[in-house]
Amino acid sequence: MFAAASQPPLNPPVLLPDTLTKVYWFVGLLLLQVVLLDHIALLGYAIPMPYVYFFCLLPTNTPRWVYVATGFALGLLIDVFTATPGVGAAACCATGLAAPYLLQLFAPSGYAFDEPFVPSSRTMEWMPFLRFAVSLVLLNCFLYFLLEAFTLMYFGRLLLTTLLSTLLSTAFIAAIEKLRAATARPRGLNA
Amino acid sequence: MRNLLLFLQRYTHILLFLVLELVSLALLFSYGRKQGTAFFNATGTVVGGINSLWADAAAYSHLREVNTRLEDENTRLKMQNDALRQMVDEQRHTPTATEQRLADVLKKYPLIPAKVTSNEQRADRLNHLIINRGRNDGVRDGMGVVGGGGVVGVVAEASANYALVVPVTHQRSAISCRLRGTGWFGYLVWEGGSKLTAYLDDIPRYADVTRGMAVETSGYSDIFPPGIFVGNVLAVGSGPDGQSLRLTVHLATDFSNLRDVSVVGNIARSQTDTLRNHAAFNEGVLEKK
Repeated sequence: MFAAASQPPLNPPVLLPDTLTKVYWFVGLLLLQVVLLDHIALLGYAIPMPYVYFFCLLPTNTPRWVYVATGFALGLLIDVFTATPGVGAAACCATGLAAPYLLQLFAPSGYAFDEPFVPSSRTMEWMPFLRFAVSLVLLNCFLYFLLEAFTLMYFGRLLLTTLLSTLLSTAFIAAIEKLRAATARPRGLNA
Repeated sequence: MRNLLLFLQRYTHILLFLVLELVSLALLFSYGRKQGTAFFNATGTVVGGINSLWADAAAYSHLREVNTRLEDENTRLKMQNDALRQMVDEQRHTPTATEQRLADVLKKYPLIPAKVTSNEQRADRLNHLIINRGRNDGVRDGMGVVGGGGVVGVVAEASANYALVVPVTHQRSAISCRLRGTGWFGYLVWEGGSKLTAYLDDIPRYADVTRGMAVETSGYSDIFPPGIFVGNVLAVGSGPDGQSLRLTVHLATDFSNLRDVSVVGNIARSQTDTLRNHAAFNEGVLEKK
């Protein structure tokens, strides 16, 4: 059931290609966001933001500061392209901080973190994985739109935007995950 | 130290998170138009409040200096106000009956207006005044000095620009005076004490003197023209020799508060001098003959 249990330990020869792969994913998600998804404004304001999927690529033994730092970097780069300085960075950085805790929360019950695993539909089953992804996206979207609006005056509208965006983002993440799972090589992305 | 390092190691991600969030928010507030405005609106209130508090404190600490300046200005304005009020009073002043009469009496005489620059009150009763007119202004020794209320004194010595006046309130001052409306005359002397009272001696015992009668200059000396008001009879007493009356006179001039006076240039005096000279000359001529 848990493929992670059978995966080889992360040692230097494996780590380097893994890191490179993550860089590809990082760039890929970034480009997807700024080139395509940022131009989708469904119903006027819902923007799919599946880039938090990047946190799903980090194995559970990743130092937590890496989540924070990569989250910040990802958000900042997106900000550069969308001319929303600091908004994405702050939101994604906070999401990065929360990611490991959320993962603990939604990890399959009884799972001990003794052996690292990469969260995915295969390691966690679909529903737990989707719950984890939804929580990440929800948090990120909420913070993003809150900071962008910078007021609680239009709270209803904020919630609507957040929910719609979360819905869209989750759909995108599920699609990506489905694709990845379908095309995954046995050792591919450690998943 | 070790604990600190352990702590830092354990919470690296939290610290990093805080730092990066600060950076993000800094970016947000400095480049985000809407957020920056909102941020500065909020902080502006706080900063404005602090600034105004600071300004208040600064103002409070400057109060002493401000107070000193205000006091200086106040003093200056008060002095100015006094000066102006005095000028207004001088302009508005309606002369009293005494002053009117005095002015009438003095109309025939050249007057040299002067101001009292020194009014010395001495323990030995030899008081004197100094006025700011001297020989250059025509003041000569022996000229009379009158004030608004009446007789002031006699010029004892005149320098180029100042003159020393022996006032009525000088122990050796003796001015020939008479009771207005009668022929009785005597000498006005002062013996210390109040500057408002002097004595008129040498009035015969049989003179019908009542309290309140006016005392004026007799004109028997060349110093004052006749009829200048001196004061009123306050009390009728017996003279030191027992042969005459001694009248206590309430002086019309307040010597404690004397500012504007006039020196009386006596024309008659020059005429009398001329007569005396003529007499002396004639006597000399007669002797020569």
